[in-house]
Amino acid sequence: MLVNAELYVKDLPGQLVGSLEPISMVNGNIVGVVHNRDIIVNQRICVNVTFEVGSNDDLEKLKKAWKSRDILIASIGSVYKTCTMEYLLVGSFSASYVESLIDEASNVVSFESVDVNYSTANATNTMTAMITAEVLSQEDLEKLDKFLVSACREGGIVYIRGL
Amino acid sequence: MRILIAGFGTVGQGFAEVLAARKEFLRNRYGKDVRIVCAMDSKTFAADPKGLDPLELVATKKATGKVGKETYTDSVKVMDSVEYDLLVEVSPTDINTGGVGLKNIRNALEHGKDVITVNKGPLALNFSELIGLAKKNKCKFRFEGSVGGAMPIINLCRENLVGENIKSIRGILNGTCNYILSKMDNGQPFEQALKEAQQMGYAETDPTSDVEGYDAACKVVILANSIFGRNVTFSDVNITGIRSITAEAVALASSHNMVIRLIGEVSDTKLEVSPRLIPKGHPLGLSGTLNAAQITTDLAGPVTVTGHGAGRIETASAILSDFISIMDDRD
Repeated sequence: MLVNAELYVKDLPGQLVGSLEPISMVNGNIVGVVHNRDIIVNQRICVNVTFEVGSNDDLEKLKKAWKSRDILIASIGSVYKTCTMEYLLVGSFSASYVESLIDEASNVVSFESVDVNYSTANATNTMTAMITAEVLSQEDLEKLDKFLVSACREGGIVYIRGL
Repeated sequence: MRILIAGFGTVGQGFAEVLAARKEFLRNRYGKDVRIVCAMDSKTFAADPKGLDPLELVATKKATGKVGKETYTDSVKVMDSVEYDLLVEVSPTDINTGGVGLKNIRNALEHGKDVITVNKGPLALNFSELIGLAKKNKCKFRFEGSVGGAMPIINLCRENLVGENIKSIRGILNGTCNYILSKMDNGQPFEQALKEAQQMGYAETDPTSDVEGYDAACKVVILANSIFGRNVTFSDVNITGIRSITAEAVALASSHNMVIRLIGEVSDTKLEVSPRLIPKGHPLGLSGTLNAAQITTDLAGPVTVTGHGAGRIETASAILSDFISIMDDRD
């Protein structure tokens, strides 16, 4: 699991390393660290760290280790990895059609975010829609791909997806 | 080594020129001469058991439009009348029936001859049968130039990457479509870009095979069968061409820092040719007539190759690499 934690450590030499060591002790993998020297509360400096740990048990061990070192945990929470994919639809359709398509798709997958941009060729009355979809997993992307392939085939719409 | 060349168009002539250019190299490597004992075009043939001069064959073809003085109606009869060791089959592709190429390859393998081909039709339609024939008659059967021209991919996967678990291959497998889409990146509409491709000699007068994705689909089938060990044929490929790509679609993609490219994709479960959105700067987002392929492996990660997918000498270079492999195996 990917976790982000905001810690406050004493403004003394070795405290930053002292806050990161316990992560290694529970076989965690540090993804990123920001040492915010300008955020000082009660003579403590803010350290924001993102890391991967194997299980909740490891996370509990880690919290205990931090507490034993007098490191304050201001906030801690899971970070979700998301998958983003772009889709280009070309054909004779309206913006409301794309909106209803996305509504239907949301019954198949859970969107984290969806962004749509349009372009119209006046001469041919052809609409182009670029959909940028953010979902929680690769499986969701595959489900969404299947849904859009089928919908576009039914609607006679050219369907182009990202890699 | 006695070679029979079936098909003396652009690629056949290119291979004859490459053999002439590499004559000393081949003599030094194998200690013997390589002889072309027969060359056939669509209607005529020239044959000589002592060997034909490759450059003279090319000169004759250029001057008269024919490779030989003798005419024929059945290529198999010509093949049966000649003593040869290796067939280089480079006759025009027939994607509907396999055409004369399929007949020639079948005949050579049935008679225990080694075969090199770049002819996609027989490979896309009858791959399993031809591989079976080659195994049964202990023949070597190689076809590197059939996918990606000079870009090494089949032998790369089957030899250099043989210990890898290849998860997928995605690539630009048709230079004509890539040229048209690259031109559309600059604002040209599809029809104009196609006309320019035809004027430049990249697209045929009838561009259907290229722009509808059929040519790339043949290559996808060859990769699926030869690298993934699948048993699929042309009709199994999910094909979408590039004819419906509009200038607006290309512009909208560009505004998101992307280009549209016709991508062939093969894996254990996928068999597809379709236009895809590619981030600018991605190895598969390249412009012009080049081919490119990204092979995703479990140990080495992604391996990307690029090269000229067509051309007289470029395709002949792929035939030469197959030829050297066969000669090395025989030594």
